[in-house]
Amino acid sequence: MSDHTLLFALGAFLFSAGLLIVLTKKNAIMILLGIELMLNASNLNLILFNRQNPTTYEGQFFALFVILVAVCEAAVGIAIILKAYHYFHTSVPDQFSDLKERN
Amino acid sequence: MNDPLQHIFESVSLLIPEVIITASLIITILLGLILKTNKHVILKTLALASYGLAIFIVLHHLPTTSTLLFGGMIRIDEFSSYFKFLFLTGGILGVWISGPQKENSSAEYFLLFHAVILGSCLLASSMNFIMVILSLELISLSSYLLTGFGFNKKSAEGSLKYFLFGTVATACMIYGISIIYGIAGTLDFSSELFLKNLIALSSPLLLIAGLFTLAGFLFKITAVPFHLWAPDVYESAPTPVVAFISVVPKLAGIAVLTKFTLAIHLFGQSGYNWQVILSVISLLSILIGNLSAIAQTNPKRMLAYSSVAQSGFLLVGLVAFGMDGIHFMLFYSTVFLVMNFLVFNALNQFENSYGELGIQSLAGLGTLSIIPSLAILIGFVSLTGLPPTAGFTAKLFIFGSLWGAYQQSGELILLVLFVIGLLNTVISLFFYLKIPYYLFIKEKKETANSIKSDVAGNLLSLILVIVLFYLFISPDKLMGWINKITFVL
Repeated sequence: MSDHTLLFALGAFLFSAGLLIVLTKKNAIMILLGIELMLNASNLNLILFNRQNPTTYEGQFFALFVILVAVCEAAVGIAIILKAYHYFHTSVPDQFSDLKERN
Repeated sequence: MNDPLQHIFESVSLLIPEVIITASLIITILLGLILKTNKHVILKTLALASYGLAIFIVLHHLPTTSTLLFGGMIRIDEFSSYFKFLFLTGGILGVWISGPQKENSSAEYFLLFHAVILGSCLLASSMNFIMVILSLELISLSSYLLTGFGFNKKSAEGSLKYFLFGTVATACMIYGISIIYGIAGTLDFSSELFLKNLIALSSPLLLIAGLFTLAGFLFKITAVPFHLWAPDVYESAPTPVVAFISVVPKLAGIAVLTKFTLAIHLFGQSGYNWQVILSVISLLSILIGNLSAIAQTNPKRMLAYSSVAQSGFLLVGLVAFGMDGIHFMLFYSTVFLVMNFLVFNALNQFENSYGELGIQSLAGLGTLSIIPSLAILIGFVSLTGLPPTAGFTAKLFIFGSLWGAYQQSGELILLVLFVIGLLNTVISLFFYLKIPYYLFIKEKKETANSIKSDVAGNLLSLILVIVLFYLFISPDKLMGWINKITFVL
């Protein structure tokens, strides 16, 4: 296996691991961690593919912006989780029960 | 382009609407810190004035030929200008119906409105995946926070759910884009290189990457299967915010989805039939949205499902994959903006007087509050798609274009979509007419107070109703304007 294939597989693994965490973990903070993994998988991909098209630095710059987006998401997310914790005294979304289908 | 600095200055001079909104955003922050009294009134006036000025500039001072700015990141053309006009109008209507904020948070509230509009304007004109992600995130993050502005238990829950669903969708989308970048070798989805490389390598990887990317856009426009957040968010967020986020981010998503699907469709040379994929999504959105809406007892939850169905109808215009379809989609977007705000404005008036409402508790209020009730009736008739309102005209146009596309391509799925779409008009009658039925025909149980008089809200209802009737009687004026828009990827 060449380096590139290996790195692409690593990215796919990171993404799947992140998605698995998002789907199985109950705590909102853990879900945020999973999302970070998914975003880092994309960063790995972007930098890897930039090496195959070395004429521009588009991929690397995109990776920088993805890091920026991840930081903003974490900041907003933790603010929202804190607010919800203030009302429900838990950060497990499954235990929030005000909003659901009522038929 | 020799001098990068010169190029940037030239680009900024063509982005005046966005610059105005950014300036207004900064002034809002400063005024929020300085002002002690009358904060809400002053900031509301500032927001309305800046949106009005931006609309004026969009309509009169932008070049009609398409111009690339910032080294190909953004393109100004008639298509994006029309969407900017819609976003700014949506902004004006949303700010208009916003009541005073609790806990002295007016500045943050209007700040987030500005941010959503700024993001939408940039999204509609972006031509590069970096720009798409950045502006999409600007919209998303601001709308997560706006959802929490009810400052109660429900609102916090809705906001958290919206955030969790939204970030996962974004993460999937960024991963999809990273693979598309690997295949295409460029992030500029209008370039020759993008087209050439995607045609050359048509592997299943492209299909997966395309679907991942599509997920992010479909989440923004609340299409099935990414609609699960909508009912919770619509129920929990303050009504003016719901009215706003059910229109502006959705239309922004439609704008960028149009560009993306046309890019990945590769002028029909793609190995995968994106027309069929979009038809199925549109079909499911219409069907699941309408069927789920029937059982709802909360008016805002019902409107959430109705909005899922409406995005299905908006997608029908895109499915036709032609200039006609896009024109009729623009017309439908305009009408959708008007009728959605009409309904939410009236609902907001009811909520201001009676607090949180179920559909049953509206019984017999029709005669006590005649203007909002009539507004709701006309809004729902238009959402169903019956004459004599513009909703009928819009549906007629959009299904006309679908029929044309079917005759051209002969795809069976288009015919199925056509039939199901028309049948759904009947299904939607059941739940759209439920609220007017309770308002006018059901007897009220106890004596209720009459509604608080709200001149600004009534005036807005009147204007929107006139627009709906006007667009039914003579749609050709607006269509004439829209038909001048040429859209080249």
